[in-house]
Amino acid sequence: MKTPAIAASNLEKRFGRAVALRGIDFSIPDGTSLAVVGPNGAGKSTLLRLIAGLARPTAGTLQIGGDDSHRRATRGRLGYIGHATLLYPALTARENLIFAARCYGLPDPAGRADALLADEGLAPVADRAAGGFSRGMAQRLAIARGLVHDPKVVLLDEPFTGLDRSAAERFASRIDGMRRDGRTLVLVSHDVRFAAQVADAAIVLSDGRIAQAFFDAPPDAAELEHAYLAAGEARQ
Amino acid sequence: MNVFLAVLWKDLLTEWRSRDRAVAMLLFSLLVVVVFHFSLPGGATSKMEATAPGLLWIAYVFASILGFNRAFSMELENDALSGIALLPTDRGWVFLGKATANLVILGFVQAIIAAVFGLVFELALLEVAAPFALVVLLGSLGLCSVGTLFAAVAVRTRFREVMLPLLMLPLLIPVLLGAVRATSSLLATGELDFSADFVLDE
Repeated sequence: MKTPAIAASNLEKRFGRAVALRGIDFSIPDGTSLAVVGPNGAGKSTLLRLIAGLARPTAGTLQIGGDDSHRRATRGRLGYIGHATLLYPALTARENLIFAARCYGLPDPAGRADALLADEGLAPVADRAAGGFSRGMAQRLAIARGLVHDPKVVLLDEPFTGLDRSAAERFASRIDGMRRDGRTLVLVSHDVRFAAQVADAAIVLSDGRIAQAFFDAPPDAAELEHAYLAAGEARQ
Repeated sequence: MNVFLAVLWKDLLTEWRSRDRAVAMLLFSLLVVVVFHFSLPGGATSKMEATAPGLLWIAYVFASILGFNRAFSMELENDALSGIALLPTDRGWVFLGKATANLVILGFVQAIIAAVFGLVFELALLEVAAPFALVVLLGSLGLCSVGTLFAAVAVRTRFREVMLPLLMLPLLIPVLLGAVRATSSLLATGELDFSADFVLDE
């Protein structure tokens, strides 16, 4: 049996007495695009932080490609793209990517940076400070930064936040490109329509539990929205 | 090692572009010098020679606190700190990169402040420049290692500007005692005294 890209078993995360996640069980194969949706406080970001290895589960196990998520080597297989861009405003676009490439120990940081800037259509502004970028440009640079080490698994945390409609459409098509490259994606978003557009599978979280799961077939936008609204109502 | 060099390069380049850390540290230290200049008798009196090393290190420590706070608060913009936390590397290299960048920036500020301090208080720092630089380097190594560590601890706390000095200053007492004593001995006799007897004498 092939090792799943991400496997969570009876996952639980507590902060003191507060339970952020409990009884989370799922497993997705390589190349799957998983959408995680749910109302505020449902535990989406906590789940993403656990997958990223930025927090440890209180109970249960979480494995990335068969290895514990908090192991150092596992982090090298993960890319992160979120509404926070992880960029340094004082550095130029190229310098931001060179910094990331150096941190991952890539052999030719400048070459890798230039290739990514060209992929994202940012070559003409490569030497401009990232702090002066529009939200859409900064998000494209954040994509390049997240993919600098060619990760197998990409975590997307509310990546549509602050993007206008056309920028969000462009971003959705970029996510589609990542899927075609065979990457495993985990997308946390409030935007159910975009989530349904790019996902092969989905889970709806409510109060730290999986309220509904769509693993057998790509989720239909209306179905996913219905489950999302039901989770929100159940919470109230 | 890659991460150490990358963080060092990034921090120094960022500071070179913005100069916000060095300028704040310099202005604050100069303010300390000016205040002490007006509150203490001028000239190379014995009282001045006895007081100057303590005053100089007070300026250095306060300036360094400003710098340490900024070193990590810049990582909170755009949540860049999470990007660093996601790196598949020993975080000790990140610490070393940050601490070395802090040491370089602090060293630059210290050189200017020492020159101003020497002029304003008529101290013969030039005559003991080499051993004085060694004392400052050793003291700053202690400052930067402890300060960088606690700046990393305090960065996610709500009152990090208050937390950092509260956490680091008690641990810096041995470093500061040694640095002030060594500087005093340099100014008084022109020679370094690295004896640790003073700790028992206190």
